[in-house]
Amino acid sequence: MGFLSKLLFKNKTQSIVSGNSDSVLIKGDELKRSVDEVFGRSLFVRLVDSGSCNACENELAALSNPYYDLERFGIKFVASPKHADVIMVTGCITRNMLNPLLKTYENIPAPKFVITAGDCPETGGPFKDSYSVCGPVSKYLTVAMNIKGCPPEPEAIISGFLKFMDMLKTS
Amino acid sequence: MDKILINKHIIESNDFVNSADNLKGSGKYLLGIAAADERSLNSKFGIRYFFGGNNSIDEYSVKVDESFQSISRVCPAAKMYEREIYDLFGLTPDGHPDLRPLMLYPENWNSSLHPLRKDYNNSIPEMKRYGEYKFKKVLGEGIFEVLVGPVHAGIIEPGHFRFSLAGEPVLQLEIRHFWKHRGIEKVCEGKDFKEALDLVAKISGDNNVNITISYLEAVESILNLEVTERAKYIRVILAELERIWNYVRDVAWIFMDIGFALPAQSLFALQEELMRLNKSLTGHRFLFNVLTVGGVNFNLDSSKLKAIDNMINKVEKNIKECEAFIVNSSTVLDRLEFTGKINKKTADELSLCGISARASGLPRDSRIEYPYLIYDKFNLKPVLLESGDVFARTALRIKEIYVSKKIIGDLLFNLPKGDIAVAYENRPEAYKYAAGNSETPRGNAFFYVMADNDGTIFRLKYIDPSFRIWPSIQYGVLGNIIADFPLINKSLNLSYSGNDM
Repeated sequence: MGFLSKLLFKNKTQSIVSGNSDSVLIKGDELKRSVDEVFGRSLFVRLVDSGSCNACENELAALSNPYYDLERFGIKFVASPKHADVIMVTGCITRNMLNPLLKTYENIPAPKFVITAGDCPETGGPFKDSYSVCGPVSKYLTVAMNIKGCPPEPEAIISGFLKFMDMLKTS
Repeated sequence: MDKILINKHIIESNDFVNSADNLKGSGKYLLGIAAADERSLNSKFGIRYFFGGNNSIDEYSVKVDESFQSISRVCPAAKMYEREIYDLFGLTPDGHPDLRPLMLYPENWNSSLHPLRKDYNNSIPEMKRYGEYKFKKVLGEGIFEVLVGPVHAGIIEPGHFRFSLAGEPVLQLEIRHFWKHRGIEKVCEGKDFKEALDLVAKISGDNNVNITISYLEAVESILNLEVTERAKYIRVILAELERIWNYVRDVAWIFMDIGFALPAQSLFALQEELMRLNKSLTGHRFLFNVLTVGGVNFNLDSSKLKAIDNMINKVEKNIKECEAFIVNSSTVLDRLEFTGKINKKTADELSLCGISARASGLPRDSRIEYPYLIYDKFNLKPVLLESGDVFARTALRIKEIYVSKKIIGDLLFNLPKGDIAVAYENRPEAYKYAAGNSETPRGNAFFYVMADNDGTIFRLKYIDPSFRIWPSIQYGVLGNIIADFPLINKSLNLSYSGNDM
């Protein structure tokens, strides 16, 4: 039981996290201010994996570990497209996933934005010549921003959100 | 010791069904079926059945025209492979109980086009509905269906799950996968062995090191290429590091799915540290692009070795606390025990591998059965549990983290000197083929690669452990309440991308 009591009574998130995470905090604070300003405190994101290698999903899931804890900056991955402001697309768009992707997009209330994560949705990645791939995303939807990387690291995704907020503020 | 040896047999009789049945009776199990369009060589299609078991692999090959005998009735594990061959090659498995399309959806694909045939002219059918996919129906009073996916509520990959329920218990689960079918096998054709590495790594990103090792076993065998001892050691260290971070994540998800965020987040933090270690060692959090044909792309110096040593000791310490905690908590045990039970007989019939097989009492671990690289040096014994439930799969991961830690610990300070990669100019012999295998964190990864006469890939077939294990969930959930499905799913934690390819 030492494990639980140690966690419960001694460790705060900061002490589970070892090493320097200042850059995340600096970016995160700025992100939070922008989200507060533009979206009235919360930016909701719906993820659609349209045919990735699953590394991108791993990095997106890592955003909620104690090192990043994205929700404290006002960004939340939501279960329903009806709640979302942003659709985040990963993967190369397979023929089989095109319809589910477009349906998910349709179900997001306007105003809505498309952000892609990783190189695949932007270029098709190594799969682009395949018979069963019909990307890139920009063929079907207007993409507000691409977050590059294979896969983009969690901190790069946070930077990506920050850039997206700046883009909205200036437009 | 390296390069798996395969006993080759040619099927002469026209009754392979009987032979397959006898093989199963003799302790063999199906590792996979690979078809290839070899009409340019001998005007026939080749189908190769790979059976493992008793520490050897047997290959049975048969040449066929437009149809072949289905062995699904005696060997249920063959069902998915035969459907796959029907889709991609258009060869009919005679006597198959269920020939619905698998990866080429009738909703967008013209079923007369078979992309893995060599005479497929790369024509892409227009995006429109060509047919209907029929799901199985359970009928009766009060029975209803719950449809989930392909787009799920969380950050997970797409897959469609269709539950038939009477009240809360699940009467039937039908899975429809292959939403992420990217046609990787076809894209690899015509590429040289190094070019294909990028695609192989992206079959399933979180297992890319182990999958690539399996691929390299096959192609280095075709090229008669012997990698240095140092490179083998480094490959094994990386493979076990990947296993550890995968298992840490998997156990964290188990806690997450029983609603116990505290230990879950602690383990997620540990996973993050492992991925940062990967980055500091190789420059990439998932260890992409660190392996190459003939060796590895990066070297380990003393500071890196020290960093690995510190980290694996930390992992062991944290996991020990976590283990003590699971064993002593009745509320945790209550959720894990007897949930999602896969019986040994089911596991055997479906020819499972990896954690899912070992948790049901089947001693299947490729590192021990068909050793590769330097795994024969460790005298490993399969870690086995019998109960086949979520608890067994969780406990097994924890126990195997210790095994991986020990393997890495043994190697770290005994690294042989030498080069990390060998230059080669060997060209593959025309139409030579080889198989490779490795144990990924999910189970056996099996490659069958054949070169053409230009030295590029003629046919590449990869069998992901997830492809073999997915059907077993349909048995594991029976009788469980639907609310436990996410937990059962996470306890197997299969790859969608590896399955869909």
